[in-house]
Amino acid sequence: MSPAKNFQFLKQEDFDRLLAWLDPDPERAGLTYERIRWRLIAILASRGCAIPEELADETIDRVARRVADIRDTYVGDKAIYFLGVMNNVHHEYLKRPKMARPPETVDDVEVKEKTHLCLDKCLDKLTASSRRMIERYYAADKQAKIDLRKQVAAESGVSLNTLRLRALRIREKLQACIEQCLQTEGL
Amino acid sequence: MTDMANPLNAAVSDGFSDETIRRFLLGSLRASEQPLFEQRLMSDVGLDARMRLIELDLADDYACERMTTSERQLFEQRFLVTADRQRKLRVSELLHDRFSFGGATELAARPETDRGANRLWHFFGLDRLAWRIAFGALILLMLFGTVLLVVKEARLAERITNRIIPKRSAPRSAPREVNHPTNISSPEHSSTPSPMPPHDSATQSVQTVALFPTARDAGKIPVVTLSSGEKDFVRLKLAVTVDQTGPYRAEVLTIGGQSVLAVDRLQGPQFDVDVPMRLLKGGKYQVRLSDARDVSKKEVASYYFLVQ
Repeated sequence: MSPAKNFQFLKQEDFDRLLAWLDPDPERAGLTYERIRWRLIAILASRGCAIPEELADETIDRVARRVADIRDTYVGDKAIYFLGVMNNVHHEYLKRPKMARPPETVDDVEVKEKTHLCLDKCLDKLTASSRRMIERYYAADKQAKIDLRKQVAAESGVSLNTLRLRALRIREKLQACIEQCLQTEGL
Repeated sequence: MTDMANPLNAAVSDGFSDETIRRFLLGSLRASEQPLFEQRLMSDVGLDARMRLIELDLADDYACERMTTSERQLFEQRFLVTADRQRKLRVSELLHDRFSFGGATELAARPETDRGANRLWHFFGLDRLAWRIAFGALILLMLFGTVLLVVKEARLAERITNRIIPKRSAPRSAPREVNHPTNISSPEHSSTPSPMPPHDSATQSVQTVALFPTARDAGKIPVVTLSSGEKDFVRLKLAVTVDQTGPYRAEVLTIGGQSVLAVDRLQGPQFDVDVPMRLLKGGKYQVRLSDARDVSKKEVASYYFLVQ
């Protein structure tokens, strides 16, 4: 979720103040915001929270409202401050009555077919080398997959970790492209 | 994704193994480990970057069914709780389905038509494990059905086998073309199999009778039971007590002296004479064994059997 999406829950001035507190450079501030949000979500999910995104946003909202009070006095890693506020939000969440969420299913044949068509379109948008890399990254299975990845890394003259990183970036591009494509398809 | 620019430096996020990060993501860290990990995650860019990669590995492992049952449960309950992770899993499944069927080199050269076939495969949901199992079960069911049908319907089985395997030529039906198999069991053995069912004329029944040299009027002689099969025959295993090498001439005669069948060159060590059932009638028969090199000589041995 982008910072702008949360904007509606905050006053403009609170949100601006938050970003400015995180980093004087607005672009870097936006990235720091995303990173903190991602980490809060990961922690909440790891704690077994069923709505980690909602609680992370609630945490950020609270911090944003307090920035005016703390910005001149707070010392230390700002991300850690978020963690403290998140602990409070999580405690409150644990006291709430739990509501069961219906499981999401995506077994609709039409949706599946459209998703695969979107994948095709998005794969076609990749550069030839990226496409070949991702194909080989996901080819084979089990031990063969491990061997193949080692081979691909060796051929590219990079470490396995770098290869994973490249695959991650290509996947992120694919994921964004597929989501956009599905939106265009009305899904 | 600027953190990705940061190399995956173990020194930055040192202290946590991939396994620990994996357990954190699956929500199975010990209570004592969790606070420290959370603190480090909030402030450590390297740990953050490694976690993103392991998130991806988890999604891949789940999509490829490389997880234990308990891991799968944790994945579904603790990991798959955000929209972003669900999207990651969807991409993992898509990529796994699309590319994991063959080797990478094959994939690189895969023509467009194959991709179309793959799309059809996905369209019908055959990429799902449940469907694969159902398809396998269907194949097994058809196989069992076929086996059952063939077992129950012996005639059908016979027809099928007769089509697939050409009918053997009837052995030893011609009186002068007797062969002498070398792998026949000991001459002492005698068996009288039950007669063939009357409706089944296509199969072959063999009776084997061991004959020992006896006098014409010996009291107890071997008995052959007549059967009506066109290809049925009786194998007379002659016990030769003189020269075991031969060659001998064997002639089957009615007790009245009428020749039924003759085999010119019987060679040891087995001296078998196959007589088609259709040549026999009820009554007593003699087998006369003589030297094949000089049939005018006196017979070497005489054998008797009764047909009824």
